[in-house]
Amino acid sequence: MVLKAENIVKHYGTEENLVKALDGVNLEVKRGEFAAIVGTSGSGKSTLLHMLGGLDRPTSGKVTVDGKDLSTLKEDALCIFRRRKIGFVFQSFNLVPVLNVYENIVLPIQLDGNQEDRGFMEQVICTLGLQDKLESLPRQLSGGQQQRVAIARALASKPVILLADEPTGNLDSRTSQDVLGLLKVTGEKFGQTMVMITHNEAIAQMADRIIRIEDGKIM
Amino acid sequence: MFHNRTLDHLDKMLSDAINGEFQESDYDETELSRLETKWKHFLSASQLSKNQLDKAKRNIEGLIADIAHQTRTPIANLKLYSALLEECLQKREDAVSDEQKLLQEMIMQTEKLEFLVQSLTKMSRLESNIITVNPQCEKVVPFVKETISLMEAAARKKQLVWEFGASNETCTAMFDSKWTREALENILDNAVKYSFENSTVRVFIEEYGLYVSISVKNEGIGISEKESSRIFERFYRSEKVLQKEGVGLGLYLAREILQRENGYIEVRSVEGNGAEFILYLWKG
Repeated sequence: MVLKAENIVKHYGTEENLVKALDGVNLEVKRGEFAAIVGTSGSGKSTLLHMLGGLDRPTSGKVTVDGKDLSTLKEDALCIFRRRKIGFVFQSFNLVPVLNVYENIVLPIQLDGNQEDRGFMEQVICTLGLQDKLESLPRQLSGGQQQRVAIARALASKPVILLADEPTGNLDSRTSQDVLGLLKVTGEKFGQTMVMITHNEAIAQMADRIIRIEDGKIM
Repeated sequence: MFHNRTLDHLDKMLSDAINGEFQESDYDETELSRLETKWKHFLSASQLSKNQLDKAKRNIEGLIADIAHQTRTPIANLKLYSALLEECLQKREDAVSDEQKLLQEMIMQTEKLEFLVQSLTKMSRLESNIITVNPQCEKVVPFVKETISLMEAAARKKQLVWEFGASNETCTAMFDSKWTREALENILDNAVKYSFENSTVRVFIEEYGLYVSISVKNEGIGISEKESSRIFERFYRSEKVLQKEGVGLGLYLAREILQRENGYIEVRSVEGNGAEFILYLWKG
């Protein structure tokens, strides 16, 4: 089990303003699995992803990633943990505008003081069809291309899990198909464990397993 | 002194790994912490490849047992029918129609045997990586039309109607036509096999930025959501179709082939309401 969430509760506000964003969620993801979490907006799916990725801490409950209970980690350690173990892909691509494509992709590895695995990088870059764009700056790329760079960056450090939050939310449906296809192809090729969040049923069909969430609970 | 402490720590990391209980002690910016993460990564990867090998071994054992078991029946039947045929011929009476029937049976059994042996050959070639997929730029529409025409006989038996469409008649993609035909045939074959009689099978080709998709949609028993990820596993057969012919290799092969061409397969289905398989070919 790469990822395990036990009885996750997240409340915002107090008393009459209390919002139960997550209300006792249990979830397990196996190594190599591609799971999709589907829910309408406000169902708590993004909150859940933030908990799973250690971007936020639950009110109660336990998240274990790669055998480590995240609640035992202090803020600094958690930050390093995320950098080394978890890849993120968000709706907005979050590329650094002054760095070219290659520099963006290897940035997390260099931040960690490591050398990139050249052979692996080459494979990822070719699979994502970015080999001709390595020198380009993010603003010279289309939205779909930018998201592919973000996917390459998330894969570069060989994370134990890749978390994607509406990865095609900013793309038109045609480009979405391309980006999701590449996400699936690269996932299968590199045995990458992935959890993707979406409100779109058709997109969720790409995954091996669909988890439905409504009102902070898994259905 | 410092040196010794580092060595002690490394020694503990090794001991823990040997006992299968290594965990990183902390996450900080020191070299040792970085080393711990790498060590953990390596251990997980070795464990993973060990598990995969075990699983592959179990699968192959299962395959051999399954095929061995399934080949026994047609062989026994063939022997029986040929013995009967021999008797008939010896009597030399006007049992022509009986002979015909027996011959027919023999032919069917031989075909079954042929199918099993073919599956076995394909499997073993795939296992030993002899399949070399050699993708080339080819036109998709004529390729799909040709493959459909190979299915005519089977479709006519069930009185199926084909519906065909393409968003772009001249679109091309990078694929190996021999192996991709195998994959598409498997998908079409399933579509026909699991269709209701007198229904329609829709084939539609659509072009995307990086992929060309071939969608095959039937009206039939469909696949439950739970099963839809399992159907691509080797030897997986749905409980509902155990009485139909097959060993559970078609979809597995199809996915392997598409993957080797940098494409993928997607399935959409509502149980009882047909299934849609979409093959995505990489445009290159």
